[in-house]
Amino acid sequence: MASPVVVAPILVALATAVLTLVTRFDARAQRATSVLGGVAYFAVVAVLFDRVVLSGPTVVPYYVSNWPAPYGITLVADALSAFMLGLAAVVGLAAVVFGSTYVDEFGQRLSYHPLFHFMMAGVSGAFLTGDLFNLFVWFEVMLMSSYVLVLFYSGREHTRAALNYVVLNLLASAVMLVAIGGLYATTGTLNMADMARRLADPAAYGVELAPTLGLASLLLAVFALKAGVVPFHFWVPAAYRAAPAPVTAVLAGVVKKVGVYAIIRLFFTVFAGGAYANTATFAYVGPILALMAGASIVYGGVGAVGRDDVDGLLAFSSVGQVGFIVLPLGVGMAAPDLTVAFAGAERTLAALGVAAALVYAFNHALAKSLLFLASGTLHATVGTTRLDRLGGLAARTPLVAASFLLGGLSLIGVPPLVGFFGKLLVFRTATEAMAGGTPGAGVALAVALGGAVLTIAYVTRAWNAVFWGEPSETVRTVLPERWRGVGAGGDAATDGGTNGGGSDATDRALAVQVTTLVALALCIVGFGVGVEFVVDAAAHAAHAATDTQGYVSAVFDPATQPGGEGGGH
Amino acid sequence: MTQWILAGVLGVLFTLGTYLVLRRDVVRVVWGVTIISQSANVYLVTMGGLAGVAPIGRFGEEGAATPTDPLVQALVLTAIVIGFGTTALALVLTYRVYEEHGTIDVYDLGRGLVDGADDADRDRGPVEGGER
Amino acid sequence: MSGADAGAGTAEDAPDAESGPSLGYERHTTVIARTVVRVTVPIILLTAVALLLQGHNQPGGGFIGAVLTATAFVLVYVVFGQAYLQSDLLGLDTADDTHRAVEYYRWLFTAGLVVALASGLVPLAFGFPFLTQAVAMLEGLPLYGHMEVASAFAFDLGVYFTVVGGLLTVLGEVGTE
Repeated sequence: MASPVVVAPILVALATAVLTLVTRFDARAQRATSVLGGVAYFAVVAVLFDRVVLSGPTVVPYYVSNWPAPYGITLVADALSAFMLGLAAVVGLAAVVFGSTYVDEFGQRLSYHPLFHFMMAGVSGAFLTGDLFNLFVWFEVMLMSSYVLVLFYSGREHTRAALNYVVLNLLASAVMLVAIGGLYATTGTLNMADMARRLADPAAYGVELAPTLGLASLLLAVFALKAGVVPFHFWVPAAYRAAPAPVTAVLAGVVKKVGVYAIIRLFFTVFAGGAYANTATFAYVGPILALMAGASIVYGGVGAVGRDDVDGLLAFSSVGQVGFIVLPLGVGMAAPDLTVAFAGAERTLAALGVAAALVYAFNHALAKSLLFLASGTLHATVGTTRLDRLGGLAARTPLVAASFLLGGLSLIGVPPLVGFFGKLLVFRTATEAMAGGTPGAGVALAVALGGAVLTIAYVTRAWNAVFWGEPSETVRTVLPERWRGVGAGGDAATDGGTNGGGSDATDRALAVQVTTLVALALCIVGFGVGVEFVVDAAAHAAHAATDTQGYVSAVFDPATQPGGEGGGH
Repeated sequence: MTQWILAGVLGVLFTLGTYLVLRRDVVRVVWGVTIISQSANVYLVTMGGLAGVAPIGRFGEEGAATPTDPLVQALVLTAIVIGFGTTALALVLTYRVYEEHGTIDVYDLGRGLVDGADDADRDRGPVEGGER
Repeated sequence: MSGADAGAGTAEDAPDAESGPSLGYERHTTVIARTVVRVTVPIILLTAVALLLQGHNQPGGGFIGAVLTATAFVLVYVVFGQAYLQSDLLGLDTADDTHRAVEYYRWLFTAGLVVALASGLVPLAFGFPFLTQAVAMLEGLPLYGHMEVASAFAFDLGVYFTVVGGLLTVLGEVGTE
């Protein structure tokens, strides 16, 4: 029997998007629908997480339209999907609450809420689907919404950034289509489980292996573009600066991770189960990923150190941080069969690499969305994020400052925050690989250490310039004294406020924004202290990602498959 | 024979698309992207095999004749619909770029990036009279 | 292209302003164009509806029907102008503000999405997976005889409204630029 909880995240996001269109006539109703939709999304993801991860890790397939695999579209919820969905739900909820006070009234009524939830639907679909072409479709849903959201203010910078973003992603979509077509012609299927099964036993299914290598490389390039890894990072800084802050939080926190997820899903689940997994033919992907990750870490770090505004700094930092996420994937893939003790069991290095990437991705999603939202709050209060015009804000807005500090420290990797454990696992993957004699692992370790130093440099720089020291001229004019919350000293914040309206409304909006920031900061501390939970979930997810056999047998389990006769079409 | 012709056509289309994407004029770039995604669609159709009768409607009437693979055609339909939307967006975007910058030359736009580097403050501000 | 757009926009507005509301449509098109459009638009609309109705098991469907419908409107727009299309043909109250018409199109778009999503959700209530479809055969109907009612048609209808609404919104917004 099909369990609707698998498809629920997609449906909730879609329904919320449609409902926010229906309630467009009333701004309050629309905002309430949107926030409730975010809460509902979080709730169904929690239920799914409980079902798939907490009550014994399982793989739950869902046959959309009651068609059996591999003929219909199959959704598959396993620990990896559930982990990514959890990440999306946390960041999405924070962003939707923040956005409902940050984006101006007109923009909200026009398109902000529907687009935001369509983007979340695309993200959820991409995490859940077990069909290659369906993955393409969800990518497009997600990207289409994000194009318009990047273009949201449609000013000079925004149009230019969006042009860059749109053209690159359209080309990537065409390339992805070509790769999918090629894989279909080669393997005769689009279902990921079926493809994994056929690649594992090519002789029985008459599959020619050679073309899949090139086609897989095309897919790798496409996913790397979505993840914004060097050398496919060109669109990142401009697009992240152009989009409204809550959208940037989701773009950097979640949408980027869709690219990473796709790399994990295809290269660790589908292709890794292939007959060539243990031969040299596919070994080139690991080093290439590691190389791209290393280049990202260096490029992003150096770029971030050189930027003179908070948004730009954070955007370049995203390029660097995604390098930290991809690095363990590359290292793990370079020596997949090395055995290491991790999370209470003997696991392969590939699994450790995936777990490290996931924990780091979780950390980056929380920390970076917090930092981007904080930068948005600065914009709403002070009216600028230029480093040379800010200063001394720690005394004026202590809560924002404290949240920013926690986010920054988590990015650096200071215990007991999540970031520490993320970095620890990344380094652990590299050292294990080095101990196992994998060539180049030492270089990866060195690059990661260098990147960590660069992270310290730019986070410190941002913190010093924005929050420490004497208040700058701009800060003195806009915030003559400490901001005290709703109703007190209200007129202080109105000057730079983009929310308009009376000082009370502005204050209330700011209170909501600051609460969101604090909540995210508490998440970072909380998940850091209770890190076993995150690491266990990541270990389950990594096991699910590398266990091709389990994935295939769950999808083709005759007990769950719908009977031969599906519905009409 | 058909496959050679199609291979040639695909080659020409991809070449043309790539050439246009590398032009300075944004409109041409959009044309190039459109051509590339259309040639991806043609490629997808050819991946389903070229022989056989129409898969829907005529199937069953012609006895032993094998139908063409209908899946790729369904995929291409989906891809065409998506391409339709994205092309419309890209064209409107081109128009907005022209309105905002007064040029659709990629080089000029790129130069603006250097000149406008100190415009960072305005980046997140809503723009009056922006697109409705 | 942007220049051409702007030019077309002003050319339309000007004669309307001169000739007043009595004429109701664009003068600067030829008789041939106007006559051809009068003849072809009903045919296009009929074809669109036919494609929509047979889409669930024959070539056709909501999307292509909607695109054809929108094409018919585009023809009217090109030959007779925006004002004629919105106030005379569709009977929308757009006297003061062209954005009013776009508001209607948006509602059509929304309604289409609601229908499409709801048609997918209904099977969940009966314990089937999302988007499961069913077919009912009605026999012995007067005049018609045998008829096939497919639940997929509801989804097609939703798609149809969504796409028509979306395209008309684009036409309304870009056409008034």
